[in-house]
Amino acid sequence: MIKLKSITKRFNQFVAVDNVSLEIKKGEIVCLIGPSGSGKSTVLRCINGLEVPEEGQVLINDTPLIKDDEKYTDLKLKMGFVFQHFHLFPHMNVLDNLTLAQIHVKDRNETEAKDIAMKYLKRVGLEEKALEYPSKLSGGQKQRVAIARSLCMNPEVMLFDEPTSALDPEMVIEVLSVMQELAQEGMTMVVVTHEMGFARTVADRVIFLEDGQIVEENHAEEFFANPKSERARSFLNKVMH
Amino acid sequence: MFVAFEKVFTLANMIYLFKGALISLMIAALALFFGLILGIIGASAKRSKFFLFRWLGNIYVEVIRGTPMLLQILLLFAVMPAMYTAITGSVIRPNVYVIGVIALSINSGAYTTELIRSGINGIDKGQWEAAETLGLSNFQTMKLVILPQAFKRIVPPLVSEFITLIKDSSLISTIGAVELLKSAQVIGNTYFDVMSPYTLAMVFYLAMTLSISFVARKLEGRLAQSD
Ligand SMILES: Nc1ncnc2c1ncn2[C@@H]1O[C@H](COP(=O)(O)OP(=O)(O)OP(=O)(O)O)[C@@H](O)[C@H]1O
Ligand SMILES: [Mg+2]
Repeated sequence: MIKLKSITKRFNQFVAVDNVSLEIKKGEIVCLIGPSGSGKSTVLRCINGLEVPEEGQVLINDTPLIKDDEKYTDLKLKMGFVFQHFHLFPHMNVLDNLTLAQIHVKDRNETEAKDIAMKYLKRVGLEEKALEYPSKLSGGQKQRVAIARSLCMNPEVMLFDEPTSALDPEMVIEVLSVMQELAQEGMTMVVVTHEMGFARTVADRVIFLEDGQIVEENHAEEFFANPKSERARSFLNKVMH
Repeated sequence: MFVAFEKVFTLANMIYLFKGALISLMIAALALFFGLILGIIGASAKRSKFFLFRWLGNIYVEVIRGTPMLLQILLLFAVMPAMYTAITGSVIRPNVYVIGVIALSINSGAYTTELIRSGINGIDKGQWEAAETLGLSNFQTMKLVILPQAFKRIVPPLVSEFITLIKDSSLISTIGAVELLKSAQVIGNTYFDVMSPYTLAMVFYLAMTLSISFVARKLEGRLAQSD
């Protein structure tokens, strides 16, 4: 489904992602973890074209993701992206947030778009907030709306960049349980997270990054029970205690 | 000091000042409108991917903001008839109101360029990214996501710009336009007392600027509703 072939991404001279290769299969749930600044977000952003690597290739369903290519928009639409800070459109109510791209990108008519929006709002448990403006929602609610907004575009993969890091602790659970449900329904997911509990129970595979490189790639249970690398072990020691 | 006040405070004089105020208001409104158009063009130029457009946009803004408005008006007053003659070969007596509106528009356009540009730049880049991940094109993002948000930020300073224009329109009295300030001077000259008509002109200016601020505050309250 997703293949990264030796991608390298630099910011000026600084190498944020250093020769990273990985493959994500359909239906897989992969967590990217690692210390702050290790390049997790940058890897994730390279997957859907928010950053463009200087070297290497990003393949979506075996098609290279190349800006200005005719297939670019179609490939991008196969991927939903959820940001740490939600990025809802503050000047529209929740329903309009969910229908905007359906109408202008998917060419759905308004009734159809609204039906689909309400379906996904129900899925994240927020159908009664359809007419609220984002400013009236709690952080957890905003993030669930953002997830619903992505799902309205019927992506094949969902990419999450620390979806719970900006939330108060009591709201983390409501977002994680929406993600867990998605996982159970068979959605392919790549999740950058500091929620080790989530990674351990939901992920199939864990990729541990440091200094822009993949240090360890392992089954989730194996990774937490018995990490192969010394660096992963010391990282886990720090974050679990 | 105000011995002549009752003499000056006649219906005819008040109507005369009122007409002057209307002219000031009209000139400011026209300059705001054309300035807004120039501002949209200027901001687009400054955000263009073509170096030449960005460069022209910068020059426009810097030249206008770096020189006195009075000088710009006087220069245009001198240049326009000469240009007309150079192009058509005939001589005209320039309409000072037209020149006034053009000068004020060009001046306002430079400030509006910056207002619009910073209004757009002030929108979090996460909005662009979210729109991008949803498949919206740059143009759609600008139209549906960025501009509606930028608009709310642009309206309040645009109202200040309008108020500035009402006050600065007094500068075109120097090229012979009879707007509010000049009207007061004309009355002053007939009664040999400028104090009373100037004071009245102040009241007129304040009536205009304060009522615009008042309406603007109401409008801002409305616009802020979704925030
Ligand atoms: N747009 C940018 N310009 C310059 N440097 C950047 C940019 N984005 C990321 N970096 C740098 O690249 C490195 C990797 O950043 P990245 O955001 O991918 O890390 P991360 O693992 O997601 O960290 P965190 O856990 O703090 O989110 C960091 O050192 C960061 O400062
Ligand atoms: Mg990050």
